[in-house]
Amino acid sequence: MWEIFQTPELERALLIAMIAGPIMGLLGTFITLRGMAFFSDAISHAALTGVGLGVALHLAHDVYGPGMQLVLIVFCCIVGSMMAWLFERTSLRADTVIAFSYSGAVALGVILISQLKGYQSLEGVLFGEILFSSNQDVWMILALSALVFAFLLLNMKALLLCVVHEDLARIAGIPIRKLNYSFVLVIALVIGFLLQQLGALLISGLIVIPAAASRMVATSFRQMLLLSAGFGLLAGVLGIAASAQLNLPTGPAIVLANVAFLMAAMALGAILGRGKLNRPSTSQLDRV
Amino acid sequence: MEAHSKSCLSVEHLNVSYGQNHVLEDISFQIERGQFVCVIGPNGGGKSTLLKALVGLLPIRSGIIRKEAEKIGYVPQQLRIDAAVPLRVDEFLSLKLSKRTVWLGPGQTRTAAEKKLEEIGAAHLIGRQLSELSGGEFQRVLIAYALLDNPDLLLLDEPMTGLDVRGGMSFDGLLHHLNDHLGMTVLMVSHDLHLVDHVSDQVLCINRTVHCHGSPDQVLQPGNLAKAYGHLPGLVSGDGIEAFIPIAKLK
Repeated sequence: MWEIFQTPELERALLIAMIAGPIMGLLGTFITLRGMAFFSDAISHAALTGVGLGVALHLAHDVYGPGMQLVLIVFCCIVGSMMAWLFERTSLRADTVIAFSYSGAVALGVILISQLKGYQSLEGVLFGEILFSSNQDVWMILALSALVFAFLLLNMKALLLCVVHEDLARIAGIPIRKLNYSFVLVIALVIGFLLQQLGALLISGLIVIPAAASRMVATSFRQMLLLSAGFGLLAGVLGIAASAQLNLPTGPAIVLANVAFLMAAMALGAILGRGKLNRPSTSQLDRV
Repeated sequence: MEAHSKSCLSVEHLNVSYGQNHVLEDISFQIERGQFVCVIGPNGGGKSTLLKALVGLLPIRSGIIRKEAEKIGYVPQQLRIDAAVPLRVDEFLSLKLSKRTVWLGPGQTRTAAEKKLEEIGAAHLIGRQLSELSGGEFQRVLIAYALLDNPDLLLLDEPMTGLDVRGGMSFDGLLHHLNDHLGMTVLMVSHDLHLVDHVSDQVLCINRTVHCHGSPDQVLQPGNLAKAYGHLPGLVSGDGIEAFIPIAKLK
């Protein structure tokens, strides 16, 4: 199987998938547990405006270039922070804030891009192209992954305690506001960094699906974390192999590999009697 | 015995507001070590706010909270956890016991968690997921979490919510155990006046201000309750008291 990875493009793509896949799986665990799946989706879609702004302000010309990557990272961080600020300061529900931020930013992005004459198609941003990655991209993604891993390791307890009960987290001395903004910035950084490789329409699936698959079979948080990282890694490798072998677009092939793992996990979860929605019924409340 | 006569917590002229809304006004009371004190009052009367102010979750507008207790354990009002979270009881307890990670390992921290669960009759829950627990089991785990760093005062916010009669009776036993055998000073918010009647040494009835304060016999009187809760149907009838006023008080 390994001979299909003989070209430098595929080698780099495989390296990125093997580094970023597990990290997105780990991050996705915390994102899904905190109910923020649509948040990462909104940031990635809003990045279209970042592309438009980058070109309109002459900050970047090439959709795949490093200039554009910087614009996307900065833009994703701004959009993420703005949404986090709106969650905190208004009485609107999170899904409402996400819906208007997302559609507003996409609308602005499309208008901006439509005004730029002779500009290349948006396909590259929408679906990404992991095969266009440079050696520099690989190193940068490795550095980003190390940063995200360190953040999650250092803040794992705090993030989890917030999931259980924010008051318990406050009493434990966790600076919740600072933690929430840092978490949002980490999500935005990951999306901004990887958008050119994985695409605005696909990237949040790559963050959320491994975590969802692992929840179907995990019986503890530790298991969920490890399985999610494992699914992210395997689906990345499998997706790239399938894409090379069958000549499929790479990003979508990785997403489909993730979906295949999710379906397998659902089937396994059903066989093992795990992963069901476990809303306590009256009879469960009766038990003490 | 001397320790029991010492004050554990005293509150003087406490005022708490949410913006312009004064939720608590001029609240004063004192808790002695070893006492079981219950806070009763109508919904929205500020009971949970009082507990949150005591543990520093809410800022106070004015007044003094004097904490003689070295450590305060707090059990928030919560029935269950989202099914999407596969966190196990041992992993949850490790959030307080372990330094960085969220697993206990085989060493001392696991023993500490097991011991605490055993103390409150919940040793069998250690490997279960929080989302699978019943309301009563979940409350026990929250109490175990609060007890992990050996507090000398325990604050419980409506721990009986969602429990049926059998669950309530079992929980009742746990409360007695905490206070009588573990010597824990307890301040509990509750709507269950039957329970309040037989577990507490002192009852504080609040509806924004302190309506009455004293022994259960003094506080759980029809007139006092009607004053605090308003003239609710079923609370006070023409010739006596119905519903949730403790039966003993009718005699």
